[in-house]
Parts: sequence; structure tokens; C-alpha cells
Amino acid sequence: MKEESDKRKGMKFLGILDIQNTPCARESILNGAGGSVVAGLVHFLATSRVKRSFDVGVAGFMLSTLGSWLYCRYDNAKLRVQQKVIQDGIKNKVIYEGTTLDPTRKTRGDA
Amino acid sequence: MAHPSQLGFQDAASPVMEELLHFHDHALMIVFLISTLVLYIIVAMVSTKLTNKYILDSQEIEIVWTVLPAVILVLIALPSLRILYLMDEINDPHLTIKAMGHQWYWSYEYTDYEDLGFDSYMTPTKDLTPGQFRLLEADFRMVVPMESPIRVLVSAEDVLHSWAVPSLGVKMDGVPGRLNQTAFIASRPGVFYGQCSEICGANHSFMPIVVEAVPLEHFEFWSSVLLDMATMEEVTLMMDEDMC
Repeated sequence: MKEESDKRKGMKFLGILDIQNTPCARESILNGAGGSVVAGLVHFLATSRVKRSFDVGVAGFMLSTLGSWLYCRYDNAKLRVQQKVIQDGIKNKVIYEGTTLDPTRKTRGDA
Repeated sequence: MAHPSQLGFQDAASPVMEELLHFHDHALMIVFLISTLVLYIIVAMVSTKLTNKYILDSQEIEIVWTVLPAVILVLIALPSLRILYLMDEINDPHLTIKAMGHQWYWSYEYTDYEDLGFDSYMTPTKDLTPGQFRLLEADFRMVVPMESPIRVLVSAEDVLHSWAVPSLGVKMDGVPGRLNQTAFIASRPGVFYGQCSEICGANHSFMPIVVEAVPLEHFEFWSSVLLDMATMEEVTLMMDEDMC
């Protein structure tokens, strides 16, 4: 019940994106915020234009968030595929261990 | 299953639904970024002191707002097509079940090995026991073995119905005179609820679908119990006829 209530209270950015319960969302937003600050600051230090630096900061936020999101989701997808392969491997081992269908069984020359 | 005032999807109970959830998160992040950009532009436009009514012919911005949406669409389309083809993959089902829609109940037929069939009516609210869910419970559940590919052939006896179970990621219309096929794998044991998803008359909202995924030995036990019950009913009917 506590887990369910925690899940329901997940913070939603702009009312749509659930940061806490969506994998990679929190990291992406944090990286985006960092990228935004860095981009905006660098531009301001170089040009001393406040408004344009703010625009650059927003663009930096979006690009950093998107880049971090795509990278994290790609890693996540690879991990899920590996998990599935391991799960299937464990299941097959449990089912076939000790039988003639066991792929790890060493075949003997005289068999 | 669903909880009150829920906005998002239910937890996934099949690999396809897991992939759909991941794709939805991906599309939602892109929507979030676009919404942020649009909101920022609106605020910037409203608060600017610059007023130039004679801006013409700016090639750079035109290129940006043509190419960028195309790139975004590609980023959305690639995973979308991947899932589309994943859902259509040929699998080797271990069991075939026919789900027939009626006004206003579902009937299920397991005819692979023996002739097993039963009707599934909604449990009326007044007959619910504490802990059961209103408008979602049924008297007989569609029991399936977990971690096995199941093929469901959906049809209907009278009007259009639709067999849908959100947590399994399946929805298929039941059309009279037509067999529609869908398949799923229940990754974990549990009870998964759905409701008829095509308007079919007065009690369209009162013909739920309940799928119970159990380990194989439990499924075998359940099916043998139901077959025994059906045999006893037949014997009783025959005896009644003889007596008459």
C-alpha cells in the first residue's frame, strides 16, 4: 500500500512526465538542467548578452535532455535484452539440465 | 489493475505491454520537450519589447523548423515501427482459446484437447464479497498458463464487441461471422481485468473480461475440474431426461 501511494505521488513535470516512476527521466532532466546552466553561462561569459544567453540555455536544456535520454534509454534497452536472455537461459537450464537436450552436456565419444 | 483517478497505463503483465510502456515513455519525453519549447517561445513572444513587422525571408529559421520536426518524427517512428512488427511476430502458441462476445457476456472455449467451454458473466454488485472489484469481477475467469504463448480467437455471436485486457496489451474486436486472432504471453501469475471495448448495447459496460494466469500444473488441475463438472452436468441432464 505504501509503495502504491508512493507511486501515485510521482512528480509530474508540466503535468505529464512522471519523473520518479519513468526510468531515465530523472537523470535526463538533471543532465538537461546542468547542460542548460553550462551552455547559458558560457554564452553569457562570451557575449554578455543576457536574453540571448537565456535562449541558448533553453536550447542547451533541450539538447542535453534529449541526448541524455536517448543514451540512457539505449543502455536500458540493451540491459533489458540481456536480462531476458539470462532469464530464458536460467529457465532452459532448469528445464533441460540432466537431460539429453542439455546444451552444456559434454558428449562422450563412446555414446 | 486500474486504481481510482489513474491517468497512466496499468503495470505490464506481458512482454509486448512492457515494450509499449517503454515506447510511451519515450514519446512522452519528446512531447514534454516540445511543450517546454513552445511554452518558452510563447513567454518570450509575449514579453519581448521588440516589434518588427517587416521580417521577411529568413532562410535559417525556415530550415530549422522544417528539418527539426522531420528528425523528431524519425525518432518517434523508428521505435514505433519496431513495436508494430514485434506485435505481429509469428509465435508458436501453446494454447488456443476462443473468446465469443454475446449480449452481454463472454464465452470461452478451450477446444485444443477436450471440449471445454463456459460463459463468463459479470458478478452483480450486490453479490460481491469484500475485496472484489465492482463491475470488473466475473463468475468464471479465463484461466491461462503463465509464461506460455496463448492465441485468442475473438468473435461475436450478435453485435460488435471487443476483447481487451490493458495490462496484457491486447485488444481485438469481436465481429460476428469473423475470427480475429491475437496472442499474448502472461509474464507473471495474477489476475488481469479488462472490459468490453466496443459499444454493444445497454449492458456494454457490464461484461468484463477476467484473465487469470497460473502455473501450468494449476491450469491443468483447473481444466480437469471444469471438465469433470461439465461431465457431471451432462450425466444429471441425461438422468433427468430418462426419468421424464
